[in-house]
Amino acid sequence: MISYGRLLGELATIAVVLLAGVYATVVIDLWAGRMVARAPVRAFRVLTFPIRQTALFLLQQPATTERPDAPLWALAPALLAAIAAASLLVIPFSPQTSAAGIESGIVYFGALMALVMIAVYLNGWSANSVFPMIGGYRFIAEALSYEMPLALVLIGAALPAQSLSVSAIVISQDSLWNVIRQPLGLPIYLAAGLGVAFWGPLALPDAADLAGGTESELSGVQLLLWRTTRIAVLVAVAAMGAAVFLGGWTGPWLPGAVWMTVKTISLIFIMVVSRHLVARVRLERFVVVAWTVLIPLALLDVFAAGAVVLAGSPR
Amino acid sequence: MAGARLEVGVGQRPGILKRLAAMAPVRVFAISGSESAEIETLLQDLELEQEIVLTDSPSSANVLLAMGEFPDSMHEPARRIHDQLTRPRRTLWLRQNVSAPSEAIFPKAIREDAHCDLALLLRKIHRDLLTGVEPSEAPILPDEEPALWRGVGPYGQGGTGMTGGVPYGRPMPETAPDRDGLALDQLSVRVGPFFRPFPSGLTLALKLQGDVIQEAAVAENPFDAQKSNPYFESGDPFIRALSEPVPVVEMEMARARHHLHWLCNALQVHGLGALGLRTRAIARSLRPGVVAPIAQLRRILRYSRSVSLVGAGVGVIQPDKIRDRGLGPVARAAGLREDLRMTDPAYQELGFEPVVHAENDVRSRLWQRLDEAMQSVMLAARSGNATSGGGGRVEGPRGVITLDGNSLSLLLGLLPDLLHGLEWGDAVATVVSLDLDLRDVRSQRVS
Repeated sequence: MISYGRLLGELATIAVVLLAGVYATVVIDLWAGRMVARAPVRAFRVLTFPIRQTALFLLQQPATTERPDAPLWALAPALLAAIAAASLLVIPFSPQTSAAGIESGIVYFGALMALVMIAVYLNGWSANSVFPMIGGYRFIAEALSYEMPLALVLIGAALPAQSLSVSAIVISQDSLWNVIRQPLGLPIYLAAGLGVAFWGPLALPDAADLAGGTESELSGVQLLLWRTTRIAVLVAVAAMGAAVFLGGWTGPWLPGAVWMTVKTISLIFIMVVSRHLVARVRLERFVVVAWTVLIPLALLDVFAAGAVVLAGSPR
Repeated sequence: MAGARLEVGVGQRPGILKRLAAMAPVRVFAISGSESAEIETLLQDLELEQEIVLTDSPSSANVLLAMGEFPDSMHEPARRIHDQLTRPRRTLWLRQNVSAPSEAIFPKAIREDAHCDLALLLRKIHRDLLTGVEPSEAPILPDEEPALWRGVGPYGQGGTGMTGGVPYGRPMPETAPDRDGLALDQLSVRVGPFFRPFPSGLTLALKLQGDVIQEAAVAENPFDAQKSNPYFESGDPFIRALSEPVPVVEMEMARARHHLHWLCNALQVHGLGALGLRTRAIARSLRPGVVAPIAQLRRILRYSRSVSLVGAGVGVIQPDKIRDRGLGPVARAAGLREDLRMTDPAYQELGFEPVVHAENDVRSRLWQRLDEAMQSVMLAARSGNATSGGGGRVEGPRGVITLDGNSLSLLLGLLPDLLHGLEWGDAVATVVSLDLDLRDVRSQRVS
């Protein structure tokens, strides 16, 4: 029988984790940007930036375009939020805390990440405006190129555990983390993760050359929701990366949840900093590199992981 | 109306949300007419203010910053931008001479001159607006359908069939073969004259399939119609050097600053906003002989492979089309050793050799200007009291400037062919790499 109290508690936990992750990401992003720009960092201003910015967006009146598809436009950030929240369900922050112990958690996560494409395209298309629509087109064009390597390296990480459960994958890294066992896995995962969260070098749908692309017609609460949920996806990607490649909750002295948080923030930091140091990649170049380099390397990662498992299994 | 919703009574303390919002960074959308060099510098400095955000789109900005004088043909686009700003909104119009007569493009705008403390003023406008001390501005343009369509057609849908007429006031997209021979929808759009990555005034009439440009045309330069140009009264060293000797140190430092400010804009377009701001700060504190900050920036760009990522093989111009036209860095980035300084005795004394790159693409133009900026800083340090100019021709940062005109209009003319078949991102990168300034094109031709 469903325990509604427990369900609500877990949903609240997921919401808190996501919001804390989003807050931390915004602060890290601002701090990293100031460091790269060699601008002075005023700690109070940086730490309070998300609150002040949120207040401003809440008071801005949402702008509208000529005949947008209003229901779908409103649905886009809701879908992105649902994807981020639903993906956290299968990520264990400690041996005891995984909201949904789905046996095929990795497959479930990969399937959810594929749905990001729909949310981004909805946001671009429903504004009924040129730049958002081109932003949507761009995301559709790049999506398969990051989804394939993402799925492959996740499969590679699941092989040593001989299970698709994320908790089992974490446990399988008790003696050796996957980042060492499968050195190709984490870099490919992070590159693909940037595509999923359309962040930094792969921020193609929301680029400055489209005046903000899919978010160029957004303002006020709509913009706040879109940016928040987009960062929530980045947090979910980082958390899954920490669980699958960095040993999840495992680590000495500190509680598992603290280790998981530290590892997640480390990956968020890497992805956030990339935004300030690496230019946005051209779409065509990304697709070529993905199909000629990333996907073959991801396949190599899977084959190598499979070979190691076969070699170590009893005959 | 949001403006009314935000109003507070006299003596009433605004709520916590309004006070927090008033403390948020000011979101500004900036548009330029033919502003003076002073106003342009104000805008460049503004970007370094941490509590000011210059937005790419007007939709999320609360303050419209209008700079300089706007030719008649830019009035309506400027008003349209105004009406796209989110509410509450205000307009600040910076003009060289506030009391000069002008048409009221923005009837309710706050007017200031170039001597104001711009960041402080913007923060005050933002605070007053968000706490309800000042009301939000109403739209300037009437809220009308773009064309009559209601009741037209057999079902009153504005069309004559599946694709005819103007349903909802807009024509349906045409269908045309794409580059692979497939029949796809073709979207006709105009981009400009206030599209942030483009030079002010540039409008492109485009036919797009997806984000691929099938046809591009450059609209008329709006600054052609303007009678005066504040640039000529600005004391620009290159303009002065047309008629009188100017210290080499002054010209070379101005050249280096120009290239670095251009680089800042280019980096922002390519998603490197923080590095762009770093470049802007370097330009502001530039000193003769001090190249270390620029060299460090160059290393970051080289190791991150950012320049190759955005520009390798993009926007290639056939060298024959630009040979001997005095196109400065664009020509030298195409492997052409063209620079008036080679024959200038003052520069020959300094052992000047032009920097040349051969790749002739967006990447090449970016390296070209970065290397020229470093070269200029070194030349400035070595030049002592040397002067140059007075002969009616000078090598400016965008190429040769003469009393009769320049060739920047040639680059404008090349755009349609150059952009044909490019994806939109590559097209923007190409336009940015040419460092066009439509005010400059006009000013030189008029002079």
